[in-house]
Amino acid sequence: MPTYYKWCSVKKEKQKHEYPSLEVTNHPLRVEVHNLKHNSNKSLLKSLQKWSSSFEELDPLLRFEQMNLENNSEPTIESDATMNYSKIWSVKRTAILNKYTTGEKLTIISSYLPGGEKISSFSALLRQVSNLNEKVKHRLEQLDDFDESSVRKTMGLSQQEFVTKIHMLDDEIKKAWETEQRVKAFKIAIQCSKLLSDISVMQFYPSKFVLISDVLDNFGKLVYDRLKKKSFGDAAIKLEDIDSGLVPESARETCQNWMFKMASIRELLPRLYMEMSLLKCYVFISKDEIKPAIARLITMIRGIGNPLVAIYIRVYLCKVASALYGKESECYFHDNLKEFLEEYQQIFLPAMAKKFGAQLLTADKYLSLYIPAIDWLLYGTLNTIPCKLTLLDELLQLCDKTENSELLLYCIVSGFDSPNIIKKSSAILDTIKKSAEHMVLLSPILSALGEHLCHADVYRQVSSEALSQTWWKIVSNMKSTANFLQVLEPWIQFACTQLSAQHINMLLRGTIRYMIKCGKPIDDYSSQIQLVVKRMLKSIPDVEELFLMDAFMPLVELVQTSNARTMMAKTVLIVFFERCNSVQIEDHIIIASLMRLCCILHEAINAVTVEDELKISSDLINKYIQTVSYQDDAREQLNFYVECRSAFIKLDSVLKTLVHAVHALANRARPARSRWLSRACAAYCFVTVPSLQCALCRAQLYLLGAHAALLVACVGQAEANLKAFVSLIPDIPLYVQEDGQNKPTHVKVVGLLSNFLSTLLILPDNVDSSSKAYILSGFIKTMERIHWRKTDPLYYTLLLRTLDLLCNLTQEKYIYHIDGVISNDELYGSEEEFIDVLENYATNICQELLVVLKALGDAKETNKQYNLALELFWRIIKRGDLREGSMTSLAINLWVLSQKLQDSNNKFAKTLLSALERDTSEEGRLLFDKLNET
Amino acid sequence: MTASLTISLKRVNKIYHEGEIIAGVVIVDTAADLRHEGLTLTMEGSVNLQISSKNAGIFDAFSNNIRPINLVNTSIELAAAGKMPIGVTEIPFEMPLVGRQSSMSLGLLETYHGVFVNVMYTLKCSMKRSFLNKPLNASCQFFVQYKQLIVSDLLLKQERPPSKPVRCEVSPATLRAGGGAGAARGTVPHFQLYAEIDSTVCALDRPITGKIRVDECSVPIKSIELQLVRVETCGSAEGYSKDATEVQNIQVCEGDVRRARAVPLHLVLPRLFTCPTTATPYFKIEFELNIAVIFEDDYLVTENFPILLLRSK
Repeated sequence: MPTYYKWCSVKKEKQKHEYPSLEVTNHPLRVEVHNLKHNSNKSLLKSLQKWSSSFEELDPLLRFEQMNLENNSEPTIESDATMNYSKIWSVKRTAILNKYTTGEKLTIISSYLPGGEKISSFSALLRQVSNLNEKVKHRLEQLDDFDESSVRKTMGLSQQEFVTKIHMLDDEIKKAWETEQRVKAFKIAIQCSKLLSDISVMQFYPSKFVLISDVLDNFGKLVYDRLKKKSFGDAAIKLEDIDSGLVPESARETCQNWMFKMASIRELLPRLYMEMSLLKCYVFISKDEIKPAIARLITMIRGIGNPLVAIYIRVYLCKVASALYGKESECYFHDNLKEFLEEYQQIFLPAMAKKFGAQLLTADKYLSLYIPAIDWLLYGTLNTIPCKLTLLDELLQLCDKTENSELLLYCIVSGFDSPNIIKKSSAILDTIKKSAEHMVLLSPILSALGEHLCHADVYRQVSSEALSQTWWKIVSNMKSTANFLQVLEPWIQFACTQLSAQHINMLLRGTIRYMIKCGKPIDDYSSQIQLVVKRMLKSIPDVEELFLMDAFMPLVELVQTSNARTMMAKTVLIVFFERCNSVQIEDHIIIASLMRLCCILHEAINAVTVEDELKISSDLINKYIQTVSYQDDAREQLNFYVECRSAFIKLDSVLKTLVHAVHALANRARPARSRWLSRACAAYCFVTVPSLQCALCRAQLYLLGAHAALLVACVGQAEANLKAFVSLIPDIPLYVQEDGQNKPTHVKVVGLLSNFLSTLLILPDNVDSSSKAYILSGFIKTMERIHWRKTDPLYYTLLLRTLDLLCNLTQEKYIYHIDGVISNDELYGSEEEFIDVLENYATNICQELLVVLKALGDAKETNKQYNLALELFWRIIKRGDLREGSMTSLAINLWVLSQKLQDSNNKFAKTLLSALERDTSEEGRLLFDKLNET
Repeated sequence: MTASLTISLKRVNKIYHEGEIIAGVVIVDTAADLRHEGLTLTMEGSVNLQISSKNAGIFDAFSNNIRPINLVNTSIELAAAGKMPIGVTEIPFEMPLVGRQSSMSLGLLETYHGVFVNVMYTLKCSMKRSFLNKPLNASCQFFVQYKQLIVSDLLLKQERPPSKPVRCEVSPATLRAGGGAGAARGTVPHFQLYAEIDSTVCALDRPITGKIRVDECSVPIKSIELQLVRVETCGSAEGYSKDATEVQNIQVCEGDVRRARAVPLHLVLPRLFTCPTTATPYFKIEFELNIAVIFEDDYLVTENFPILLLRSK
């Protein structure tokens, strides 16, 4: 293979490009820019949502719980009312278990659990007789252990241990049942229900109730299933279909026995619980007995003096009844509710106050223990009542009349549906106002009421104002700031949807005044304030209106610590852009406010800020920059961009956006404006780009700058840009960090440099410089300076592209131009010297390519070698001057090489050959013949 | 060579009324051929009386136990001497339940398990066997209930006893001296209770119902309980002993209940341990109800209601 081939480009004079073209009135890019903006709006929002959603994800445990719930609910899709109740119960059940937890030590008393301290009188006696021999004592205790009836007391259990113990008891019941020890199962169940009379750790009581009610349910089911089996064998008979007349004597007798056993339980509470758990077994005696039994139980619960114990046993009764009768059972809910209301004052007995006080419970915590129970009773009641409004009226009157009505009031407000509550809202507020000072549940009541009012769609303005005034009077006297903010949240939404901007502003001012007056560090409440602000932004019909209120920004900036401020700014911006539906923001006040928020975001960025944060912040700021518009005032707009650049210097992506925005501005204003704007814009960009961190981005922007400059025929600027570009090439990293992964840049680099080379075709040479093709030669030198791996596809692809450019540069008329820019074809008019320089470069590059070919051969990269050989071959026959002998021989050699490398599947070679065959020129024929000879 | 003997009654609940026929089978289960000298079935019913140790002094001359009073005693032969085949053999039987006909007889009384008085009925099956083998025995209790309302002197042939409600109010003023256990402790708290029993004449198969209301009470209440007490009197011309013991005690109220609210009383009468109020020349079984109010300081107030239990269907 000869080592030197001189490259000669062929000049295609007559060749005109025959691409289809048509006249257009609009610049195609301009339209696209516009579209792009819309798209980017949406995609930005999406990306923002994606980010925020990933942060709001449930913690994994909760998710499991939810999955469980979903699984549970799946088979019960039937619209059956029974199912409905049990489904709702299971939801409530989980809620109770999650809400009412404790860190206190719990106590369990049972004779069926291992371990624990015995409290039988015998061992107490043993302890008294202290002179008893240890050994004897131990033996006696061992004897005692065999005695089943010795009751042991296990103290100091953590909540988890307690739950485990209860489950153990449940298992114990099943085990005893399976081993025919039914009386033992019955005894365990009684002991479980006895645990419910213990209110020593009150805040756990609702959860304890749930756990034990499950155990009792299981026990009831065991009894029921056995009786069913005794009566009907394994036939699947539903409860409704059981005819007590058909029950055989023996099953009935067994059932009767259970009932007698149950009726002779000495203590009231276990007796009631056991009767409830066995309630459905009455069908084996007589179906008609169940309903009177429920009615009797409802009244018998009156005997339970402790209100907490009493209401939960009512809950259990309703639950059992609803499982039995479904929809029909709702009257029992109502009856129980009525009974509860009669006993309502028991809750506030001084004795109870002493008890919860001794357990260090606050009054509101204590009252909240009743809420799930009352909710449950109210829920069933509301389903049965045809006219809810009358019931509401009655209950509200009751609230008015009784003392300590707050618990009831809260349950009413949270239990009833919004339309009815809204109708009565002023009455409710009046009731609250009367006793606001003593209420411990004031803030939950008010916020629940506020939530209802948020749903009010059509409402008279006047009464809304009156409502909010009354509300403000109550609220502004509240002592706890946290409660105040909790109440404020729904009410501000109400105000936003119902009241005028003036009113909202007044409320905001009041809030600021309250916050300042309360004398506590405001930063403690930053998350709550954030919620309030978020609620406002989300609910106000016109989100821009908020920024026009003079109290809004002060409220937003009420928090002082940088962390809280950043969070606040972020929230406001995210929600603002979500809600803001206009593409452009023109109002100066809003622009200034947003600028302030963006600055806060930017200030928070430092070296340790994580990448996700950076991304969110820069996305938000980008969004801001894109939406701000000064319409036709380009000077203002540019000023704004200058200001932004100085404000957001830390964020690469913002700078990028700014550069793009400025280019767009220049482009938009071009025809109408004088040239100063284009120049100013170009200068802006040129100055901005170096402050970017990423070399690749910088390179891209330089190239873009060059394009823009060429478009406005600003050759010097373009050259400067390209020069900067060339000097950047060695700095472009091989990999960039993207989404936490290292991504190779070479695809991008190939694209970028190809783009660059295409630009060079247009760029007129610098006449002042001594060398021809100034930038290109600079580029080639740079390429030589970089230590490429010879076998790198990036390298030889670039060489091939450069070769393409060189060939095109030698043409007499270039294949494309920009209006107003005199390219080299006109500049030099195919001057000899210029062409020589180019041919020289081409020869060198061709040479280098041959070196690469050899290197590829050495590296056994036959596939790449084959492709490269053919690529080069193609360039020779297309662009080379085949009249030159060196070119022809090179072509033949390359062909031979490629044929040697690849004997099968040489589709590429075949295509090339057929193209050559069609070549009509003499040299082509000649070459074709020669190729065929080899 | 093992063999077992069991009696199985046709009626699952084993409750029979006078004049009915007790039907069932005697089941012989043997691992080999069984030779026997005859199989007999005996029905026995008797009243066992016991004198409480408290009153033992009077009866010291006698033994502690009084001779049981026989109510019924009949026997039939189920199989003549012969041989039982290997395996399970069921021998059905039927026996009329008829009381002993004699001038001194009390007739058939209801089954009752008490402390000092017991009325029990048993079926006994006995298989006599050859000289060297022990006889095989099996026994089975059954229960006797009055068929319907026994016409006592109080009631005329009515289907259902008329309800006889009683009401009472309890306050410190109505307390009998020494009525409460804590009376000696001095100050009696101020209270006002109202109690009502729907009827003092109660059917055995129905619960005793009523209500109780705490109108006022100056100290917290710990518990209100309803106690069923039996009063058994044994004796004859020589003298008698009378003892009251608790049958059942159930709690009606737990904790400090709401004032001025009627809490229902509901007491299911236990089987076997109760029977219709009975009076015979030899013994008496009577029942009473106690309502006990226990205050937080364990001060106890009770109110007593004698009741009459009846069997009605």
